[in-house]
Amino acid sequence: MIAYRAVLSAAFIVLGAVVIVRMIGFGLRLEIVPGLVLGAAMIALGAHRLALIARSRRAA
Amino acid sequence: MARQQPHAELRRAVTPWGSFAWGYSDVGADIFVGLGLVLAAAAGASNVAFLFAGIVYVCIGLAYTELAATYPVAGGGQYFVTRGLGDFLGFIAGWAVLLDFTIDVTLFAWSCVDYLSQLVTPLANTLHPWLHFGVVFFLIAALCTLNVIGVRESTAFQGFVSALDVISETAILGFGFLFAFRPELLVHTMQSAWPSRFDLMDGISLAIISFVGLESISQAAEETQRPASIIPRTSIALILTILIFALAYSNLALGMQPWHPQLDAHGHPIPFWQTFRLDPSTQGEGVALLAAQVPLYGWLAAKYVPLLGAVLLLISSNSGVFGSSRIAYAMSKEQHLPSIFERVHPRFRTPAISIIAFCGVAVIELIFAALPSLDPHAQAFYTHFFHGEDGVTFLGDLYAFGAATSYSLVFLALIALRLKEPLSPRSFKIPLNLPLRYGGEQAEVPLIGIVGFIGITLILAFTIATHDIGRIAGPSWLVVGVLFYLWYRTRKRLPVFGSLRRDWKHEQIEILRDAGELELMDQYIENLKRSEERRLKAGSST
Repeated sequence: MIAYRAVLSAAFIVLGAVVIVRMIGFGLRLEIVPGLVLGAAMIALGAHRLALIARSRRAA
Repeated sequence: MARQQPHAELRRAVTPWGSFAWGYSDVGADIFVGLGLVLAAAAGASNVAFLFAGIVYVCIGLAYTELAATYPVAGGGQYFVTRGLGDFLGFIAGWAVLLDFTIDVTLFAWSCVDYLSQLVTPLANTLHPWLHFGVVFFLIAALCTLNVIGVRESTAFQGFVSALDVISETAILGFGFLFAFRPELLVHTMQSAWPSRFDLMDGISLAIISFVGLESISQAAEETQRPASIIPRTSIALILTILIFALAYSNLALGMQPWHPQLDAHGHPIPFWQTFRLDPSTQGEGVALLAAQVPLYGWLAAKYVPLLGAVLLLISSNSGVFGSSRIAYAMSKEQHLPSIFERVHPRFRTPAISIIAFCGVAVIELIFAALPSLDPHAQAFYTHFFHGEDGVTFLGDLYAFGAATSYSLVFLALIALRLKEPLSPRSFKIPLNLPLRYGGEQAEVPLIGIVGFIGITLILAFTIATHDIGRIAGPSWLVVGVLFYLWYRTRKRLPVFGSLRRDWKHEQIEILRDAGELELMDQYIENLKRSEERRLKAGSST
């Protein structure tokens, strides 16, 4: 279960990075800002979940 | 009736996932209502509207997380504001939250029927408004009855629906972004359909309703095991999940190539987001309509998303019934409301009077919302005075007003409590703080709290500026509440604009002990002792 959650969290980070890269491909303009924040939020959620998994493994 | 504290029976049995599901089933349903409303108002800038409201929401979420982890009691915003800013503002915050909870009951029951009408066409408000009204009324009455007799959906059921919804929404967005999303179309839509400043403000004020329900974080805190450590973990995941869904839906809606596009009179496909402008009756069904337009997955999504949305919305409506009675109970305990709201039913042991009273308010709101579709004269009146706002928009106006009012006070309470109670241990502290010496102690002013306060005040200003009904009905609700409060406090010979004397330090120790946070309790007692020693030392040296 933990491995599944870790893979899912890592996938979030990768997808977030893909979103950011795709949006930056359109050049730095106002229209890409919501997409950049979306990508950043996905990376943050993935990192947060990975940190929780790491903490629970350390505690175990 | 016996006077008894219903809280005395609450067990701290909510697990981390249960805590997440509790919040998700409340806040997660909001996007089902908000998406269509915002797309209709803000058009090509809908994602910017969600972004603005989303940034403010993250600040609010962090504030609630810190406050709920520090003071894990069910009173929520009303309790934090009373503690930080005094009784009068605490009452206003609680009264605004009560408005939101009653709107919550009506708006989500209304939207639940809208989603069901995707499967059962006669339920559509445009086809049979009296039937629509009757079913919404029946749902509110049924929820009221279930809450009076003490039947609640189990945490396991909430968890199951939340998990199903997270998987479903992820699938919709995954398929949508893979097969229907065109980034160049998103950029084109944003450039060609950018709204007027008024419409953008309108869109932002409506977008905040997609993020309402953070009170559930503090409500869950009272029943969560080890809240100081669990609440920050689950809240941050909840905040980010909701933000991601809102931003993803709005970007997808603006940049998607619909699977089965509607055609205009000339045979040209109509962009998906325009559906909500052309047919306002669809505004309450945003997610279901979007799901049906996702390639490959859409045929399946069209069959179950309306049902899933309806269940989630019904749970959210129920949380409004439950939440309003609990807030009224907390306000009554703080002597903000008469003690009648504290009374519990002798047989069912539920705050029956509070439940019935605030469900009654929800029914009154339903009547006002449904009037334009039920009666042509009322429709003419609404068209003349309120630019023809319909039922969902009417409820959305009030929802945004109540949320913006209570959240702005919660930000002030956060800042005030950081200054007044720097010795309270905070297991989670919002980052980015300005150190400050205040009252002889080292305190920290949260910069994110200041940014959030400015943001939510702007949203409150946008709500008042753009919503014809919200600017009248919202302040009217507050005025009625303040008059009631003045009458009650005067009659009871209690301070009207001042506060009752309370021993917050002793209360904090009790709160931490009840929560099982014994380490934090010891730390707090130690902090108090050291502070006292410092004061004595300073006193003797002078």
